[in-house]
Order: sequence, then C-alpha cells, then structure tokens
Amino acid sequence: MIELKGVRWTYSGADGPTLDDFSLQVRRGETVVLCGPSGSGKSTALRLMNGLIPHFHDGTLEGTVHLDGQALADLPLDQIGRLTGTVLQHPRRQFFTDETETELAFALENFGVPPEKIRERVAAAVDDHGLGDLAGRSLQRLSGGQQQQVACAAATVHRPPVLLLDEPTANLSAAAVERFTATLRLLRAQGATIVIAEHRLYHLYGTADRFVVMRDGRIDESATIGDDGLRGLARPTRLQTPLTCAHGPSVAPGATAPLPRAGLRLRGIRCDFHGRRVLDIDESHLPAGTITAVTGPNGAGKSTLARILTGLQRHQGEVLLDGRPLTRTQRQRVSAIVMQDVQRQLFTDSVEAELRLEAGQGSGVHEVLRDLDLERYAGRHPLSLSGGQQQRLVVAAARLSGRRLVVFDEPSSGVDQRHLHSITRVMRDLAAEGAVVLLISHDEELLALAADQELRLRRLARP
Amino acid sequence: MSLDPRTKIVLVLVTSVIVMAPGGVTFIPAALALGVLLALGERAWRRAVALPLTAGAVAVVAYLLPLALPYPVIGVVAAVAGYLLRFVAVGGVALHLMRTTTPTQLTAALRAARVPRAITVSLAVMLRFLPAIITEARAVHDAMRLRGLGGGRGLLRHPVLGIERFTVPLIASSLRLADDLSASALLRGLGSPTRPTTMRPPRFGVADLAVLAALTTTAVLR
Repeated sequence: MIELKGVRWTYSGADGPTLDDFSLQVRRGETVVLCGPSGSGKSTALRLMNGLIPHFHDGTLEGTVHLDGQALADLPLDQIGRLTGTVLQHPRRQFFTDETETELAFALENFGVPPEKIRERVAAAVDDHGLGDLAGRSLQRLSGGQQQQVACAAATVHRPPVLLLDEPTANLSAAAVERFTATLRLLRAQGATIVIAEHRLYHLYGTADRFVVMRDGRIDESATIGDDGLRGLARPTRLQTPLTCAHGPSVAPGATAPLPRAGLRLRGIRCDFHGRRVLDIDESHLPAGTITAVTGPNGAGKSTLARILTGLQRHQGEVLLDGRPLTRTQRQRVSAIVMQDVQRQLFTDSVEAELRLEAGQGSGVHEVLRDLDLERYAGRHPLSLSGGQQQRLVVAAARLSGRRLVVFDEPSSGVDQRHLHSITRVMRDLAAEGAVVLLISHDEELLALAADQELRLRRLARP
Repeated sequence: MSLDPRTKIVLVLVTSVIVMAPGGVTFIPAALALGVLLALGERAWRRAVALPLTAGAVAVVAYLLPLALPYPVIGVVAAVAGYLLRFVAVGGVALHLMRTTTPTQLTAALRAARVPRAITVSLAVMLRFLPAIITEARAVHDAMRLRGLGGGRGLLRHPVLGIERFTVPLIASSLRLADDLSASALLRGLGSPTRPTTMRPPRFGVADLAVLAALTTTAVLR
C-alpha cells in the first residue's frame, strides 16, 4: 500500500538530511508503529506518506514514495488527501472551523459530498468517536485531549484507506487513550492501513502489527523495543500515589493529616468560563518540597488550576503561600510555568541568553544545559530548535528561575525515555530546594517516575 | 428573528454605500434605527441602547459643539466627528453581521452566492486566523508576565526590547500555526478543483424577503 524506497530528504536550510536511505513497506490493512528517539525522523517519514513532502515543505528529495502504486510526487495534494487521513502534532493548530460538527464536515464539504450524506457521516463520526458531549462547544475552548479526539475524527470522516497519526496520544488521559485505541481497532477492522509515530507504546501492544525503530533518519534493524531511548511496551505500573489533602466538588478527597505550613494552600477556589463552572475546590494543600501530580480526565480543569495558582486567571477564593495570602500579581512573581506550547515562551536570540534571562550571570547555566542535553545548542536561536529541544530549554529556564511555585504542564509530550529521566531530575532538584512543584500529566511513565503525591481532579457535572 | 447571512451582507453593503455616499448624512438616522432594530432582534439589549447614545454623543460633538465654541480646533474635531458618525451608523449594522454569523455560516453563504473561491477561501482563512492570533498573543503575554518581562514599567524602560520580546514569539508561533493549519486544510481538500458543498446550506426566509424588499424600495426612492 505504502512503499518508500531509498529516500533521502533534506529540509531547505538544514545542515544535513533528516532521512537518509530510508526504506519502508506497509502492506494493505497493516498497522505499523514508528518509534525512536526525538529527532530520529518519525514525523518526517509521515510527511512523506501524506505528500506534505515534497508538495508543502521545501527541501531536496531523492528516492521514491508510492501510495497504492501511484508516485506521490506526481499526485496533487488534494488527491492524496482523499487517500490519506492525517492527524499532525498539536491538534489545536489544525482546526479550520469553530465547532466539532463543522470541523468534521470540513473535508466532506471540500470533496463535494452532498449535504444529506455529510450530515449522515458527521453523525456517524460523532457516535464512533464518542464526541456527543462536545457537540456545539467552541473547539478552541476544549482541553488538549478533547481537541485530539476531534482532530482524529475529522481526519477519518471521509474514510480514507490510509491513516497517518503523529503522536496521537501525547496529551490524552488514560481513559481517552483507551477510547482512542478502541477507535483505532475499529478503523483497522474496517480495513484501514495505519501508520503511527509515537513515543508512548504500551497502548499499541496487541493492536499494532509491527513496531519499526528509527534512529538518525533510517530504520534501525538491530534495535528492539525497550532499548536505550525507547519507551517500553509494558503498561507502566504506578504504585499507589497518596492523594494530597483536598476537598470540594472538583477533587477526589484526600487525607487530612496534620499539614506543614510551607507550601500552597487553596481556599474556596472557584472559576467560571462563560457562566459555566470549570473548577470548584473548597480546600487543598500543596506542600513545598514535593512533586504533586495534577491528574484527571481531559477537560477537568488541570490547566485552569495551573493558571489560577500562577496568578494568570481571575477566580474566587484565596491562595496562600507559607500561610500568607498572595494576590494574583504577587503569585505571578513567585511562579514559573512550562506551558504545553513552549514556543510561546522563548523570548531571546540564543539558548544561553534565554537562560541568562533567569539566572543573570549566575552559575548553573552550563550544568543545566548539560543535564538537559542542550550544551551543543548553547549558541543557537531558540526558534531554530526542534520541538523536543525547545521543551527542554523551557524546562531549563524554569529550573534556573528560583521561583517558589513551578508548574510543568504536560512536559513529556514528544519526549523519549532518556529525556523523561532528565526532566524528572529537574523537578526533583526544584523540590529539594523547597519549591512547590506541580506536574500536570497523563503520562503514566512520567508519573511513575516523578509523582510524590496526587491531586486528582474530577470533571464537574454539567448543570 | 434570524436573517440569512446573505441578507445581512447585503444590508451592510447597501447601508454603507448609502450612508458613505455624498449627501448620505440624511440617511444616518434611518441606518441607526435599522441598527437598533437588528440589535433588538438578536436580543442584544446593551447594543440597542448604546448605539443611539454613542451616535447622539458623536452628533453633539459634530454639530452642536462648533456652535457653542467657535474655535478652529473645534472645527477640525467636529469634521472628524462628522465622519465618525457615519461609521457608527454603519457599524451598528455590521456588528449585527459579526455577532450573529459564524465563520462557517459566512463561508457557506458566500459559496451559495457563487462568490469566487479565491475570495471565500481567503476570507475563511482570515476569519480563522485572526482569533487564533489573539489567542497566541494572550498566551505570549501570560508567559511574559511570569518571566517578569511584562508590565508597563519594563516596556517604558526598554520599549524596543519589550516589543521585540513580545513580537518574536508571537510571530514564531503564528507562523507555525499558519503552517499546520494550511497543511491540514490542504490535505482535507481546501482548494481542490471539486465544487465544494455545504453541510447546512443557508435558506432565505420570510424575514429576508421583507428586508430585501424594503431595501430595494429605499434604494430606488433614493
């Protein structure tokens, strides 16, 4: 079905080829997973299969790519689009319309499907993907995980024979991953040929026919899953993480042990968006010196809680640090955050300057760069780095910030095994210095490594 | 009452041509009344009150102030206010279009009106992209506040640096957004040579007929 032969691809302006002598055959109806460390060329391989290379991205291509016997270089992009469904990383950036249903209809409208047929297919897709709850809501206000679900449904609604997914579960909760895997099995049973680039592998065990390991732009025949740099196939097991002290409709209640004074205390925190309550916590305590994992289903208000605590979001109730109530402006001064979209928080013209902004001329810059495997890039412009490298750079800046509250919002999407450990070390160091560290994540592997205790959020019932 | 998006577009176009044309001042009260009626129709009570009040205030500056204070400077201010008044009058009708029509409906309406694709596609992209840039700008601003780079004081001390630190990440993330958005849209057939269809094609109703008839009469009488 898909055949890549001796492909060598160099992005224009890049130092060297991203893929070199890359060959891969995917049979009809097969489900293949591309795995490998960050920067090994997984996303690029997918772009070759959906024609974005060479039709959309600039660069030099050698070798051939065939889809169902046709050379992709000769097919126009919309023709390739009829044959393939693609979900890129960052679903938020792919939506063309403002609502779930219109987004699902988008491809069908462009391909000229009659209106009554569109309505029928859209309704079927809403059912198949379990999107009933999201109908009529603004796409930009959905949580990252919900957006991922919609993007996946929107890519498959025109029933393409080939499905290409770039890190589809990066921000999904355990329950959403399960739903996604079920959808995948359904599409597979319907005969779709599926190629997935992914770091988290355990959920694909039993669904995928083949795991292909990539390294440095080619297929590494000798590698096996579980090798250095790859995540394992076994479902990560997290020992019972104790629940943090918390009460209120939005949280799973935790123990009321005698509490230390140091840390953050939340009292009567409530937050509404457009008349709808999204967060409601009567009382909670997040101690200093520990890593508190904030977990819960997609859309439970995890990122909103982070914005409230760091002083970015208006809310009712009060937040105390070490027993002293702090205003929102005061909290902005004692907080640092690693956002889900890190390129919004890179402000200077070199990696080192970015860290000096936090640390001044102080020491520690080089150690942090080394710890996070960024030393080679010290002089590079932050925006010329890959997504994973940018993520580590922002983590490095947070490490040096010296703030009392440091929030990591999904720091491990697109992160391989090795960097999972280095990010965990950073969080440990911050906690050891007495910071309140919050880790928002669905990544069970990261949670198993890092979480000391857990604040489990629940989705509020709709009135 | 809800109008077909095509009717709303025609309303905005006709109102602006009539009011902006020479001698259009006489039609300002009529345009304002139309704006208020539309606001009432969509239950936007605040706009229904604010629109005539704003227009009244601007009219006072344009016509009464120069009588009370005969200075040249006031004359200039009054002339500017006179133009502004026309924009307020058209703005009331345009706001109705913007508040009651989603980008999807607008694109569908333009498609149904057989507007060339070059225009509908670029308009759709613009409508999609503007709010996205605002979201990006807010996020960058948030990130700056936390890094201690935001706030008026920093901007006053190093204006160029402050602007650079805001615009560089904003442009970078907007460019990435544009890249991903166009890649995903092209793969989903945007710009394909097939004639696109619409999930819920717009339909003309009785209200549309009434409005269009009234408009034609006005235009002819003028």
